[in-house]
Amino acid sequence: MNWQVHLPALALAVPLLGAFLSLVVGLGGRFLRNTWMVCVSIATTAICVMLLQRVLAGGTMVYVMGGESWNFTLPSGLSWPIRIIIQVDAFSAFMAATSSIAALAGAFFSLRFMDKFTGLEKFSALYFLLVAGMLGMQITGDLFNFFVFLEIASVASFGLIAFWRDRPEAVEASFKYMVVSTVSAMFVLIAVGFLYGRYNAVNIAAVARMLHMGYAEKIALVFLVVSLAMKSGAVPMHMWTPDAYAEAPAGVTCLLVAVSQASLYGLFRVCFTLYGVTAGSVVIPWTIIVMGVLSMFIGVTMAVIQKEMKRLMAYHSVSQIGYILLALGVGLLSLKDPQAMADYGFTAMKGGIFHILNYTMYKGLLFLSAGAVFYSAGTRDLNELGGLARNMPQTTFMFVIAAAAIAGLPPFNGFVSKLLIYQTTFAVYPLLAVAALVTSVLTLASFIKVFQTAFLGPARKAFEKVAEAPVSMLFGMAVLTLVIVVVTLFPGWTLSHLVEPAAKALVDQAGYISAVMGGGL
Amino acid sequence: MWEKVYSGFGYWDVYLWLLFFAIASAVILFIRSKGRGDYKEGTEQDEIFYGSNIVPEDGADMGVPAASAYWGFVEALKPYYNWLIELHTGIGSDYVGYFMLTMAVVAVLVLL
Amino acid sequence: MTGNAPFLVVGVVFLLGIYAILTERNLIKIAIGISLLEASANLLLIVLGYRTGGSVPIFTLAGDVKTMVLPTPQALTLTAIVIGLATSALLLSLVMLLYRHYGTLDVREIRRLRG
Repeated sequence: MNWQVHLPALALAVPLLGAFLSLVVGLGGRFLRNTWMVCVSIATTAICVMLLQRVLAGGTMVYVMGGESWNFTLPSGLSWPIRIIIQVDAFSAFMAATSSIAALAGAFFSLRFMDKFTGLEKFSALYFLLVAGMLGMQITGDLFNFFVFLEIASVASFGLIAFWRDRPEAVEASFKYMVVSTVSAMFVLIAVGFLYGRYNAVNIAAVARMLHMGYAEKIALVFLVVSLAMKSGAVPMHMWTPDAYAEAPAGVTCLLVAVSQASLYGLFRVCFTLYGVTAGSVVIPWTIIVMGVLSMFIGVTMAVIQKEMKRLMAYHSVSQIGYILLALGVGLLSLKDPQAMADYGFTAMKGGIFHILNYTMYKGLLFLSAGAVFYSAGTRDLNELGGLARNMPQTTFMFVIAAAAIAGLPPFNGFVSKLLIYQTTFAVYPLLAVAALVTSVLTLASFIKVFQTAFLGPARKAFEKVAEAPVSMLFGMAVLTLVIVVVTLFPGWTLSHLVEPAAKALVDQAGYISAVMGGGL
Repeated sequence: MWEKVYSGFGYWDVYLWLLFFAIASAVILFIRSKGRGDYKEGTEQDEIFYGSNIVPEDGADMGVPAASAYWGFVEALKPYYNWLIELHTGIGSDYVGYFMLTMAVVAVLVLL
Repeated sequence: MTGNAPFLVVGVVFLLGIYAILTERNLIKIAIGISLLEASANLLLIVLGYRTGGSVPIFTLAGDVKTMVLPTPQALTLTAIVIGLATSALLLSLVMLLYRHYGTLDVREIRRLRG
């Protein structure tokens, strides 16, 4: 029991150690490198799930890096914290557990998917650096530390997207992503600088306690909101998403989906906890709602006309992020008004957070099945594929489950979270729910197109020798399918035990502040 | 264990939907069982049929390509789609341009 | 007015960087624009720590000083400089690979992924 207080630090240390030792272990050959990758992924997932259990049972966890004791947040005589403090509340632990499951699936998938490439110990190192950066973004309690982990995750993802460096499109996608990502990171740094200059603190709880709105804080809020929305793929800054997600290797795309969720986590941490009700005006919630509606609609209408499998799925990624932005924008809108919060705001937040879990699982599974098709059949072009259901039955089965979930067909988990979002956004403004429903229909349309052209249809001569994907790739996909099926069968349990504590922790700004400021000796 | 999910405006019940799927599967299997299994493979009954047109050599490879799916939908929304595809230029500086544009618009709205 | 001069410099360099990224066609000039942007952000962090009449924030053998400038933003800036270094290195190596693949450094030509 004693060692479990160090779980937050372990959640960062294990992937980092895995990253740096991959280069050493990789000298020992293929089997050793694969074993190392599997062991570190399983260890990270176990740590994050234990962290979630502990936070749900015992409340917000705090960890002081480099202090005399792990919870010595306010050294004697000082009234605000001076060290980097990791703060894991229920929302952080929820996101960390979700992302680590996606990372596990991607790691298992990449064991065989990448066997045509060389330099795989570097792939493994970059993969675990990306996992460490993503987990760091989700559990840190410090603004500048968030910027550092954001950059770690971004630079690792630039390297991973360009990993197939013989292919010009991959390098082009990585470069375009890199330019816009670095510009947005500089905006985040300037916003952190503004807040530091005003309050002489970078700890989120300390700044939230002292915050009062002025021009500098408003500018910092704008910079942070727009930059973090861009990193998660909201319209009109979404154009890097189809390029980067399509050109990255499939296991990496599964992880990139989780990394964009980490930026979304940062966005909501800033809006709900850092600024909260002191933000005053309703401009930012309505901005987030409008970005959500635009993302939903533009994402799905661009997706209907795509000819390449992963690019189509990446445009759907943009539109699903729109759902989450819409739901949490409605929650942010009702933050000031307790009656609205009880009526529809809190349920909208529950719907949005549940949708984060569902989206990571089924989108990861969709990208992995597209990767399996690419590995077996050699092409991603929908005009050339056809009739693969005979050759790849298990992949087809898992693809059908994921496609039904993303289209919001009952009884899958996608329907439950979308139902919560439709009903609560209708209470704010009916057209929002109409946009959400139209998007669902168009999502179903485009996935029927993918299913029919890739899997159904007569057997083509070119694909006679196509075999099913290897077992390790199927295992990676099965992990995600298992989570989808469990959440489908037990939505009530998931909502009340995982999602509701996360939503409560997000709304509870005072609890977040007191976990750091009230603690210490 | 399988309690209802209340959304404040309605509810979602897993039991009911599993029951629905059980009944639907029973109906589907019943209809499938009424099919005939007595066709002879390799004879004329097994060949591809394209109305009354001649079937070419690689008949199995012909089909509606994915690029022409939803042609009617795209044609009906042609003005919107032309504008949308023009927007997605693929030039890297334009990505930063849209980001700065959004930043400027939101900054003006917040500061005013 | 002279007290605010560093912040004006930050603003000017920032705007120059954004202008370079948006309007230049050569990839290397875009990379230079990103470096300008990073420089302005680092300069902002350092200038925020300045206290009037302060001396170097070294505690050991400091002698009889009344005020020191803040050391924390200097640590933040060092971290940001290192991050900028990694980003620039990766950016320039990607530019090199792009030239090898496409044969051109014009950002308006490198658009195979569009639509």
